Amino acid sequence: MAAVSISAMQEPRRALPYVAPALALLAAVILVPAVYVLWLSFQQSTFGRAATFVGFANYAKILADPYFWRALGNTVVVVLVVVHVEVVLGLAMAMLFVAGLPFRKLLIAAVLAPYAVSEVGAVVMWRTLFDPDTGFMTRVLTGLGLPPLEWSVVPSHGLALVALLSIWLHLPFTFIILYAARLAIPKELYEAAEIDGATPWQSFRRITLPLLMPAILVAMLFRYIFAYRLFSEVWLLTQGGPARSTEVVAVYLYLEAFRYNDFGAASATGWLMVVTSLMLAAFYLRRLYREMFARAD
Amino acid sequence: MPTDRARSLSGLLRLLGKAVAVALVLAWSLGPIALIVTAAFTPERDIFATGVGWRPTFENFVALWQRWGDFFSGLANSFIVTAGATVLAVLASTLAGFGYSRWHSRFLSGSVFAMIALRLLPPIVTTLPLFPIVNALGLNDTHAVLIILYAAFFVSLGTMVMRTFIDQIPRELDEAAMMDGASQAQIFRRVVLPLSAQGMVAVAIFVIVYAWNEFLFAFIFTTKNAKTAPLVLSEMIGSLEGVEWGVLFAATTMQLLPILVFVVLCQRHLIEGLTAGATKG
Repeated sequence: MAAVSISAMQEPRRALPYVAPALALLAAVILVPAVYVLWLSFQQSTFGRAATFVGFANYAKILADPYFWRALGNTVVVVLVVVHVEVVLGLAMAMLFVAGLPFRKLLIAAVLAPYAVSEVGAVVMWRTLFDPDTGFMTRVLTGLGLPPLEWSVVPSHGLALVALLSIWLHLPFTFIILYAARLAIPKELYEAAEIDGATPWQSFRRITLPLLMPAILVAMLFRYIFAYRLFSEVWLLTQGGPARSTEVVAVYLYLEAFRYNDFGAASATGWLMVVTSLMLAAFYLRRLYREMFARAD
Repeated sequence: MPTDRARSLSGLLRLLGKAVAVALVLAWSLGPIALIVTAAFTPERDIFATGVGWRPTFENFVALWQRWGDFFSGLANSFIVTAGATVLAVLASTLAGFGYSRWHSRFLSGSVFAMIALRLLPPIVTTLPLFPIVNALGLNDTHAVLIILYAAFFVSLGTMVMRTFIDQIPRELDEAAMMDGASQAQIFRRVVLPLSAQGMVAVAIFVIVYAWNEFLFAFIFTTKNAKTAPLVLSEMIGSLEGVEWGVLFAATTMQLLPILVFVVLCQRHLIEGLTAGATKG
């Protein structure tokens, strides 16, 4: 009798009550809205007014808007800089920690600290450091004979500060992924290489780097996808100004929707973000899909 | 012996290099935080003065209390929203983690896949349709809307972490309980739940840090009653224009310190969660 009840309990339908709350939450907050944005992107719509179908007009409009291209260009540059600098710094820090340090736990706590800082808090910190009149970093730069960072006036300086701030906030994530992966490489490989007379640089090139590649790719992929959402740092530092020169895609979307009241154009921007995010993730999702359906049967 | 001396010299250089590297890492990670926290305890007029000694004071915090009552209700709101989102996300994730761990079918696999893909969509996109809906439901500027949004954006990571944890609980325990006549719900409550506490902690840490610091949703969906601390902080940046730095630093410090202490205390779980989360989706 017990055997009967076990097989009855294995009926997949019985999983539904358990998975339903999570799925309902995701459907209500992400899936349905995302589909609705697709519909909205083909409509002429402002807040509080009935929508009318306009085909691809919204897409045509944003793709003809120089501000959109500027925002996209800014986003691409910032994301590429941020993610690659993070990987290089994270890798260097992982090597430093692996080489053996005293007070390792305490040092890791220090490295993790920016993970706890909010975007708003980080903006307060970095604007203060780079304040044109009183900032500590401004004094350091002038002391070195370098020009100060005029982040509120010069667009490229504003974006540089945004990039610096994002790197600072997210380096802990990248570091932890790479450090954990490095610790998982068996010691014996390095011992064998040493016996064979390999220099430290050679073992880094031939052992560490190839074996870390999967972790590096995962870290980069996640950071691409998340860096692409960049909004708060830009909004809080420059609001996209001066003269809309430092906007990124998410800021452009926000302004279209909530300042210029053009939900159609904002939705078209949003759907372009969705498609590009999924394209970025395609490689990862494909691998996952295979694993998942291998497991099902 | 020259080779010996050369070797000890290179050892010394390597040690020096390491020390410099550690100093740089510390300055980079802690410098900006230390700057703001010390400035918060410095008298307003001394903050940007050079050559004056440090005279620790609480006057910035007193001024904050007197002039920005909003900030303290912001902290209270942040606390409520964080607690609510954490409970909701951990509960939904644990239930789903159990479901996905103990049952398998094509539909279930498909839904896990959808969960992970959905998590990768940019949050700002969902604000467009949600904004009018939230208004229509009268949920604008309430704790509830933030709780639901924050939980939704972490429930898929949470589910993956919980599934991994619950996979490690032997199914023989389930079966033994079943023989004793326990229902599935009882197995979940009495067998699985107590053994998956560690996973729940890992999920909770993610949600807590995220909900406490989140800006975008708070900025779009709250205006007055449910404003969280980061939002009030952003309003302070906007309205101060370089006058009341001390108050701004005091507020930044108060928003930061609780979560910083929390992250440091939960370091081990956080690292486990980060590595598991990144590889498991």
